[in-house]
Amino acid sequence: MTAIDIPEVQKFVSSIPPFAHLNAFEMSQLLLGVSMLYVRQGQTLQLSDKAATVHLIRRGACEIRTAKGGLVDQIADGECFGMSTLLEQNPQGLQVIALEDSLVYRFDKARFEERLDKNEAFGLFFEHTLHNRLRKVSRTQSHELASPALQLSTPITHIMTQNLVLASPNETVQAIALRMTEARVSSILVVEEKRLQGIVTDRDLRSRILAVGGSADSLVRDVMTENPVVLLNDALVMQAQTLMSESNIHHLPIVDDDHRAVGMLTAADLLRHQELSPLLLIKQINRQQSLEGVAVVCKQWPTLMINLVITDMKSVDVGKVLATLSDNLTRRLIELALEKLGPAPMDFQFLVFGSQAREDQSLGSDQDNALMLEREPTVEESQYFANLSDYVCQGLAACGIRLCPGNIMASNPEWRKTKAQWQNTFSSWIRNSTPADLLHASIFFDIRCIYGQEDDLMDVIRNMLSEVSKNSVFLATMTRGAIASKPPLGFFRHFLLESSGEHKHQLDLKHQGLALINDLARLYGLSCQTYRISTLDRLEQALKEKKVSKDTARNLMDAWEQLNELRLGTQCSHWQSLGDVSSYLDPKDLSPLERKQLKTTFSMIADAQEMAQQNFLRGFS
Amino acid sequence: MPAGLLQHVKNAWENYQANQKNWAEWDYLVLDIETSGLNPKQDSIVSLGWVCIQDGLIELGSARHIVLENAPIDEQVGIHMITEADVQSQGKRQESVLRYLRQLLRNRVLVMHHAPMELGFLKKIWQQESFSNFSLSWLDTLAIERTKANRSQQPIQEGGFRLDNCRERYGLPAYAGHDALTDALATAELLLAQVAYQGPDCRLHDLNQLGGGRTRLSSNQ
Repeated sequence: MTAIDIPEVQKFVSSIPPFAHLNAFEMSQLLLGVSMLYVRQGQTLQLSDKAATVHLIRRGACEIRTAKGGLVDQIADGECFGMSTLLEQNPQGLQVIALEDSLVYRFDKARFEERLDKNEAFGLFFEHTLHNRLRKVSRTQSHELASPALQLSTPITHIMTQNLVLASPNETVQAIALRMTEARVSSILVVEEKRLQGIVTDRDLRSRILAVGGSADSLVRDVMTENPVVLLNDALVMQAQTLMSESNIHHLPIVDDDHRAVGMLTAADLLRHQELSPLLLIKQINRQQSLEGVAVVCKQWPTLMINLVITDMKSVDVGKVLATLSDNLTRRLIELALEKLGPAPMDFQFLVFGSQAREDQSLGSDQDNALMLEREPTVEESQYFANLSDYVCQGLAACGIRLCPGNIMASNPEWRKTKAQWQNTFSSWIRNSTPADLLHASIFFDIRCIYGQEDDLMDVIRNMLSEVSKNSVFLATMTRGAIASKPPLGFFRHFLLESSGEHKHQLDLKHQGLALINDLARLYGLSCQTYRISTLDRLEQALKEKKVSKDTARNLMDAWEQLNELRLGTQCSHWQSLGDVSSYLDPKDLSPLERKQLKTTFSMIADAQEMAQQNFLRGFS
Repeated sequence: MPAGLLQHVKNAWENYQANQKNWAEWDYLVLDIETSGLNPKQDSIVSLGWVCIQDGLIELGSARHIVLENAPIDEQVGIHMITEADVQSQGKRQESVLRYLRQLLRNRVLVMHHAPMELGFLKKIWQQESFSNFSLSWLDTLAIERTKANRSQQPIQEGGFRLDNCRERYGLPAYAGHDALTDALATAELLLAQVAYQGPDCRLHDLNQLGGGRTRLSSNQ
């Protein structure tokens, strides 16, 4: 047998990052098992049987959609799909649809698995997909993310297609179908004396000709959509986006004042340009001069988060990015409030609590904030801060960060205190709390200053930690609270028994999982000399100060990362398919492997609760 | 000879029925031959490259690139990138290569880009080796492309039927190399694209109508 050497294939495959790790022998072993296929635009690829394996796009573009049709990713030359099919039997039921005619390499399942097994670097690269829904493998993709993103304020003339494919109303359908095929476009504009009369899309040809057995000689005028939705050429991307989603169209002709067709904007054009970067969003927020402007910019927030998740940003970093955004948003709102209300009568700090302080925010987190004032305010000054707080809290709500149901907000006069009052409040929680008090107060122990002098808050925190160390009964009380709710271990047994699917057993990843770890980490964190805010940092610190065993700390960190990743993934898929951000997970959506991992994770939390009980409750119970 | 006639009709009928099957139910061998010139009578084969299509997929594992022993090299090196040393070290006997190819072609349709040339050379070496008569079905991606262009009344420019230009129309990547195997692979990809444009129900029969046929290779002309 001659060893094959197909330079064109080899050259291409070895230019793709994960494959570059393979040596010549491994490469030829892999290539011997490659099958090539050509997929027409619009065709759905069945990833079953032999095709349930990794594919590499040689030329073309595909999109990956969830079973419900939500867009997960768009990939092109040099990118892979089918990893989740190979590694986890495609629990999400992802579909791959060709956006363009595509030439695709399909790797032989057994050979690919062998390489995953035997080449560590190669395996590691793809192993990542066990944690993430999908993996973008191409370098170009990360380049795209780094490149300047589409701004909502970009004029549409910058991104619309100006090379128009035109038809006249009196042509036959066959003639325009040919032209469309040749030009590789999915729609054609119908003009008469340059003025736009209508539009014909691929879909129209399908539904109005093919599906009803119409003739190829039908005239365009009888098939076209007359007076389609259009946009004037001085509009902005923002307007195009809104119009297209409101009208539920994917092709938007652009016309000038005389109704002459000057451009075409497709949903794909918008998507291609919509690589949002966090930095850009922050810049946009900071540029806005009104609350309304800020709120519009913040509408991109979920898209950004989805982009971050599908480009495999680590969940802990996603949390940080979202916290940074919230911080900037809050600061911008404070600045706008100061512009509106005039300068503040005294120094103040804007404090945040809970998830924003811990930097593990996700979509749907509510706001928890407060003010710390330099001194006792007069009546007028008090009114000033009431107005300022109202503006900021309502502003945050308008930008998608929900008002706090427990009313832990600066807009609540109870949470506008002087430094001394804050110190007293913490002291009183630490000295004489019942578990019930602490249940509501515990998030105050996750605290960060995002506006104003940080030093004052540091004093409060130092004071707080010293009080905690003197009152061991406080940590015991807090422990009782932290271990009161248990991870849903019985849940799985129940789930496994339940096969009829009549009862929807869903898992609340936030309250039944992450919150339990946050509680434990807070407990350990507060027993330390040095104050840390984020859950992972707290566990790290406790480990450093030997307040927690290495096993417990590491297990909790792993558990936290796993649950957080799962929550972000769940939120993304919910957002894409349903438009809400629930972090409820249907275990049916998990592969057996994932279920097993999740069960392990929950038992680690249960073990850690046990440990905490021994550490902090010994002698108290 | 009624028996012979009957057999003939039977063959034709089976042939006809088989042609009605979806194209993917057939196996294909896509061949490219590099020669020392364009005239089968004077010139000879330097190398052969082929790759097979099974279940509608190009199987890279089936790819072969074979240099013939005693292949004339001379000034052609520049085109094929095959050197005298390659011929010395890797050259295969024409007869054994042909035997191998015949074995593969027993149950495969031969696919070429511009069949007259390749068939001309195949006929020639068949005679040289005195192989017994052999019938094969073939498809010509160039002929398919030409028929499609004629049917759609889309004039195609001079040179537009060259392999690279045909491929470009289907969005297939440009390949830098033009050795026999690269061209065979390029032709195979082109066939897949042509078939895809015929729609999911494309039959071998349809492809034959566009640009295919049967040819008999024989030991004597």
